[in-house]
Amino acid sequence: MNGMVQVPRRTVLVCCGTGCLANNSMEIYKKLKDKAAELESGFPVIPVLKATGCNGLCERGPIIQVLPDDIFYCKVSVSDVDEIFERTILKGDVIERLLYLDASSGKRVRSFKESEFYKKQFKIALRNIGQIDPACIDDYIERGGYEALKKALFEMSPEQVISEIERSGLRGRGGAGFPTGYKWRQCSKTNDFPKYVVCNGDEGDPGAFMDRSIMEGDPHSVIEGMIIGAYAVGAEKGFIYIRDEYSLAVRNVSKAIEDAYIRGYLGRDIMGSGFSLDIEVVRGGGAFVCGESTALMASIEGRVGEPRVKYIRSTEKGLWGKPTVLNNVETWANVPVIITRGAEWFSSIGTEKSKGTKVFSLVGKVKNTGLIEVPMGMTLREIIFGIGGGIAGSGKFKAVQTGGPSGGCIPEALLDLPVDFDSLSDAGSMMGSGGMIVMDDRTCMVEVARYYLKFLSEESCGKCTPCREGIRRMLEVLEDICAGEGREEDIELLLELSETVKEASLCGLGKTAPNPVLTTIKYFKDEYLAHIKEKRCPAGVCKKLTSYRINPDLCRGCSLCAKRCPAGAISGKQGKIYEIDQGICTVCGTCREVCRFGAVEVAGRATE
Amino acid sequence: MKVIIDDKEFEAEYGEYILDVARRNGIHIPTLCHSDTVPGQGSCRLCIVEVYERGKNKVVVSCLYPITGEIKVYTNSEKIHRMRRNIIRLLAARAPGSEYIKKLKEEYGIPEETRFIVDEKEKCVLCGLCVKACEKLGSMAISTVNRGATKKVAPPFEEPPVDCIGCASCAHVCPTGAIEVRECKGKRVIWNRTFELLKCTSCGRYFITREQYEYMKNRLGIDMKELLCDRCRQKSTAEKLVSLYKKLLV
Amino acid sequence: MREKPEEGILKVKSILEKYPKERRFLLAILQDIQKTYNYLPREALNEVRDYLGIPLSSLYSMATFYKALSLKPKGRYVIKVCDGTACHIRGSLDIVEEIKKQLSISPGEVTKDGKFSLETVNCLGSCALAPVMVINDKYYGNLKPAMVKDILESTGD
Ligand SMILES: Cc1cc2nc3c(=O)[nH]c(=O)nc-3n(C[C@H](O)[C@H](O)[C@H](O)COP(=O)(O)O)c2cc1C
Ligand code: SF4
Ligand code: SF4
Ligand code: SF4
Ligand code: FES
Ligand code: FES
Repeated sequence: MNGMVQVPRRTVLVCCGTGCLANNSMEIYKKLKDKAAELESGFPVIPVLKATGCNGLCERGPIIQVLPDDIFYCKVSVSDVDEIFERTILKGDVIERLLYLDASSGKRVRSFKESEFYKKQFKIALRNIGQIDPACIDDYIERGGYEALKKALFEMSPEQVISEIERSGLRGRGGAGFPTGYKWRQCSKTNDFPKYVVCNGDEGDPGAFMDRSIMEGDPHSVIEGMIIGAYAVGAEKGFIYIRDEYSLAVRNVSKAIEDAYIRGYLGRDIMGSGFSLDIEVVRGGGAFVCGESTALMASIEGRVGEPRVKYIRSTEKGLWGKPTVLNNVETWANVPVIITRGAEWFSSIGTEKSKGTKVFSLVGKVKNTGLIEVPMGMTLREIIFGIGGGIAGSGKFKAVQTGGPSGGCIPEALLDLPVDFDSLSDAGSMMGSGGMIVMDDRTCMVEVARYYLKFLSEESCGKCTPCREGIRRMLEVLEDICAGEGREEDIELLLELSETVKEASLCGLGKTAPNPVLTTIKYFKDEYLAHIKEKRCPAGVCKKLTSYRINPDLCRGCSLCAKRCPAGAISGKQGKIYEIDQGICTVCGTCREVCRFGAVEVAGRATE
Repeated sequence: MKVIIDDKEFEAEYGEYILDVARRNGIHIPTLCHSDTVPGQGSCRLCIVEVYERGKNKVVVSCLYPITGEIKVYTNSEKIHRMRRNIIRLLAARAPGSEYIKKLKEEYGIPEETRFIVDEKEKCVLCGLCVKACEKLGSMAISTVNRGATKKVAPPFEEPPVDCIGCASCAHVCPTGAIEVRECKGKRVIWNRTFELLKCTSCGRYFITREQYEYMKNRLGIDMKELLCDRCRQKSTAEKLVSLYKKLLV
Repeated sequence: MREKPEEGILKVKSILEKYPKERRFLLAILQDIQKTYNYLPREALNEVRDYLGIPLSSLYSMATFYKALSLKPKGRYVIKVCDGTACHIRGSLDIVEEIKKQLSISPGEVTKDGKFSLETVNCLGSCALAPVMVINDKYYGNLKPAMVKDILESTGD
């Protein structure tokens, strides 16, 4: 192009994460790209288009950012493309209606960074996501990528790397918060070769997607972390185990590995340092238990994913019986930043025992759903009501579930709990991998417990008695309670079985499986009692224990419910009070959903 | 090194399993999935004990917990007893058909099950020993299938297993008598597959399936020139092998 | 197999050739076969056994353990409705009910014409769009039962 005059560039970032792709963002990207290609030279700007990873704001997708102007558009559709191109990309004009609507202030903001959702966040693991094209290694390098690797290889000894990680206080982001530096040291001390490094990208927690976003949106950060870790412990081979459903993550990580080989960051004699490492992607087979470290290793070895007894640690005998360091995706993604910016900087963020930040997928009945990264120690209230903007719709906050099937439900009374590894465990829940599911008064806590136990009874590997048989029986009891067949002694029985399953199971799946039951009994016992004694589901979720009534004092006779009821169970005359025929009603809840006056109320089991 | 089990002191070797030390010294810990010939399962969890190590208290399975430092072990504390009873209750609810489990149930005074749905005919407790035994012999004809609550032991496609040699090691190793073996008129039926039995040329007793014989000859390279049952053929290589099978059965 | 057996075996052979004869590639091989045929045909498993020298019992064990593998043919369009937690509390089961009604199949089944099969899965990683389903590779988010009919009708061969 024009060699003399510097033509300004405008970078257009189109989010092409799974969420936005679901909303057609690829078509938007292609159309913009075509338009840019058609553009003849001589224009005052050069548009540079990039397909980025997930911004974490999937709910408002497809998302487009225009730089350097820092204009942030949400819910863009293909029909908006022409206008965006003509006005914003070529001229720098802002299209008001596409700007981000801040749920808390009700205002539209030009830059995403001005939103409440963004302001309280602190990005380390998500530092590049949404800002770079994950398929382009130069984008990563431009933002300081692979600098940490150079520093580690040429300025630090393996011992120094380990001690830096130890001093940073980094704890594993995949579950229990095991100190990462300590794990590395254990492995480096073991004098047995070859050694392996493994990245756990199984992300089995149903309701969490932060690891997916990182692998899709910034795969090099994980790879760089792994190379540094491998150098520190002396490993020569690495595996990235990616959940089966994550096809885009598999693609992007594989591409990133290829590019890293081409640039000499992987393979023999990395950048002339004498250190060599190979990394391979392994696709998971679709089993939650394969997120457990020993089951994951069995799966990499080409076996059924059954955990083994872990009285000897994987850092001594892991993959193929050799010393192995296994860390979570987010843990690995933190490593390069710690090496670049130092342990002191990292450990200045967070709380005394939980350093740094944590990524959460904030979902459920909250206004702003999406991926967030916050410093450890922020309270649940700040997260849910600050960043999350509070409860969506007309419901009232009831509980927040953290830690997935291994975690528990935390009630309103504990909303001021600082979010870190230890506080959550003390509350009977868990940090887990970072799922955070907000529940309102239309969520039944007994049904939530039933839901998780059903999940676990299917996902348990079935090897050991307490987990396989215990969960199955607890589920039987919970199903009875939800169906109105619960007995008074059932709560006692659940507690007793919980103890055995928790203490006597072989692996972490069984050892944490009772948590959803224990926390809901602890904090929401009255809901259990309502189901068992009064045969009533207060949330109106358990169909056998629910009927709907129209409150004559509130009904305005608008007829909307009668029109929408798919079973035709509602009768009445316009302007008069409507009524539900309990014999016909299928308890689908549509009437309750549509009534604008809150006249449809939940009652106990229908007596007719 | 020293180890304290139920407040008594015993000698143990570094890395020895708690169960082995306890047994040697006459302390009874109930087991189900443990077998000296196919160790390493840790699946039934019946043998749980409480361990105090470096100020920490934890529940472990004695059949696989190696003694590597100073520990105190309680094999039947109140907590262990309570949990073991629950495990037996769960096993009994799963496999009420097994005599062995019935005995355990009586021993621990566990009442008849009234809360859970039970399948009266089921005998398998999924300890996994049969699969391990078959694997160790090298035929690998059966495996666990499915996972979670629906896990079971079965041959591929739940059809008569092609790789099975009819040795019945699986049935012998099974603690609950869950694998059926029928023998009559020179035939053995196991896993719904019928095997022809060969006679001992000396005493005329049926003692080995044809497939088993072939297997020894072709895969293990042991050629029995004369077909002699173990009673008739002493100190022969064949005998060693058959007794090797037998060891597996204990 | 759907095509003539010889052709089928050829495809399996070309999958096998991509991998060294090591046990650790077993899962990847099975997944490739699953992708090619939409299930694991028996003949294909026999080929894998011969290639890797792994007994049929282990292959059967793998095939029944991992959810990504199936021994029964699936539909040409596989509908995966997410019943992860986020989707569950936003009404994923109502979506499943609606699909059951529209197609007269339950999760785990295939329509008579072989076009659709229905499954529930645990989180598709798009929780912010809950409830979510995916048909082959196409995602549908923020679903309502009323949207199901149109989506199914617009899914064509
Ligand atoms: C049943 C079960 C499922 C798990 N699933 C995951 C997972 O999906 N992703 C993950 O990173 N860790 C998972 N974990 C935790 C891992 O076992 C392991 O502790 C972790 O990956 C270690 O990495 P970290 O120290 O970096 O957290 C799971 C654990 C259990 C018991
Ligand atoms: S606790 Fe559950 S998942 Fe873990 S080994 Fe036992 S049966 Fe398998
Ligand atoms: S009888 Fe068959 S299944 Fe049983 S151990 Fe022998 S070969 Fe294996
Ligand atoms: S059949 Fe017997 S040996 Fe095999 S798993 Fe069941 S109880 Fe154990
Ligand atoms: S005998 Fe130890 S776990 Fe079964
Ligand atoms: S829970 Fe449905 S996409 Fe995550």
